[in-house]
Amino acid sequence: MHGSIMFWQVLLLTLYSMYQIWDDLTIVSSLSQPVWAGLIAGAIMGDVTKGLIIGGSLQLTVLGVGTFGGSSKIDANSGTILATAFSISAGMNASTAVAAIGVPVASLMIQTDILGRFTNTFFQHRIDRLIDEENYSAIERNYLYGVFPWILSRGIPVFLALQFGGNFVSTAVKVLDTHLQWLSNGLATAGALLPAVGFAILLRYLPVKKHIAYLILGFTLTALFSTLYTNVQSLGTTMATVSKGFAGSFNSVSMVAIALIGLAFAINEYKKNTDKQKLTELVSSYKNSSKEELNNSEDGEIYGDED
Amino acid sequence: MAMKTNYKLTKKDFNQINRRNLFFNQLGWNYEKMQGSGYLFIMLPQLRKLYGDHTPELKKAMKTHNQFFNTNPSVNMIIQGIDLAIESKEGVKSLETVSGLKTGLMGPLAAIGDSIFASLLPAILGAIAANMAVQGNPFGLIIWLIANFIIMYIRWVQLPLAYREGTTLVTKMQGQLNALTDAATLLGVYVVGALVATLINIQVPFVAHIGKVTVTLQNEIDMILPKLVPGLLVGLIYWLLGRKKMTSTKAIFIVIIVAVICSALGVLGKG
Repeated sequence: MHGSIMFWQVLLLTLYSMYQIWDDLTIVSSLSQPVWAGLIAGAIMGDVTKGLIIGGSLQLTVLGVGTFGGSSKIDANSGTILATAFSISAGMNASTAVAAIGVPVASLMIQTDILGRFTNTFFQHRIDRLIDEENYSAIERNYLYGVFPWILSRGIPVFLALQFGGNFVSTAVKVLDTHLQWLSNGLATAGALLPAVGFAILLRYLPVKKHIAYLILGFTLTALFSTLYTNVQSLGTTMATVSKGFAGSFNSVSMVAIALIGLAFAINEYKKNTDKQKLTELVSSYKNSSKEELNNSEDGEIYGDED
Repeated sequence: MAMKTNYKLTKKDFNQINRRNLFFNQLGWNYEKMQGSGYLFIMLPQLRKLYGDHTPELKKAMKTHNQFFNTNPSVNMIIQGIDLAIESKEGVKSLETVSGLKTGLMGPLAAIGDSIFASLLPAILGAIAANMAVQGNPFGLIIWLIANFIIMYIRWVQLPLAYREGTTLVTKMQGQLNALTDAATLLGVYVVGALVATLINIQVPFVAHIGKVTVTLQNEIDMILPKLVPGLLVGLIYWLLGRKKMTSTKAIFIVIIVAVICSALGVLGKG
């Protein structure tokens, strides 16, 4: 079955790729995110775990990438769909698929996004004209037609790639696994490193300089605890196999606990800010009232002089 | 004569506007007027009730609301709510005020909305979901879905609130929103620090043989500080992103190429 994707699978994946952009523009349910794309594409292709790994990796890569002011963003959703589908059908390693298929596809899809946004200008011009004609239902209709450039900008490329890209990808996988082992390893390393880009992009959008202390705190605390927990975990599981009386569950570090520590600092900051605000309001109101008093006393002096 | 409208929006109107906003906003997004036609589409039925069909007032209102508009789609109902409050009170002569209000509010609201709803929350929820997903656990995705339904609720209740409070809402919320954004970004920076330390599985596989002594470089690095390599790499990419003409897409490709080279040289490897 390697190398081939059934037509019904192509169809379902294409339909999902068309739905996700509508979701992303309107209700924003999170179903348009790469992790969900991984789960859904994985379910369609029959390997949910692999889909989750690919979706999760691409999610981390684009963690800080948002659409600001209507700029096109790297389309990690479509990238995940294709990377998951081909990785499962052609038997490609998940990390390699992220770097070799997911990222290139995601960045190529920026072009179709731009095309879709551009095509919608056509309907905008029709609405401009229909306002003069006072044709209310046609205004609404032409606004809703805008959905077609959007869903086709995802659906057409995803369909074509899934339908005709299979052979190419399975040949590439064969070459990678035999003659280009170093490249395959390198792409897997790249896949593991890509979340670092996501975090760095995110930091660019956050006031890092202002909150640098908390960046250091979050990093160091987690680095120490995760090392500790991992070591205890491997120690514990090894001990449990050696000694029968040694039992217990050994988990990795709880990220929720780490996040709660951060939340405590955030609550403090919020309180400090609102207090500061109340104080400045108080000071300004006090200044105003004392100014009035000052004016009054000056008035009094003038009256006094006249006496 | 200047027509004054006396139509008050009902619950039915709010529901209709909210439905249009939630399911159809941004579908008409284009490079010329961005969310402009969307702003008109969302409240067209109410404009028709306010001004009456085939009146010059309605045409003027439609033209006003078909202009360039762009803001964060999680907070846009605040603007449309305030707009409708003013228009239903003052009628067509308020359209100039309303235009100014729209352009004045869309920037600041986009800044707050983008930093919280488009950047921070997806980053934190996405990190939790992805962290679980790479271990094969889909539970984080459910958390994200639930959280986004809560955000949809927040988007739904903005409109009646903004309509009731009108322009006073802006001054009331300003201080609180600033404090909230500051606290939220603090948490964001802290969480990114924590994620760097857990989710980048990269290590240095380089082993040096000096005479009879074998030195595993990763061990030495761990003695200085565990997770030092991921930390330094994020710092390096952060610097890279700050360079002129650098885009996030370019940076991603540079990282892939450098990772392949370093992996071939045996300097970096998957952890």
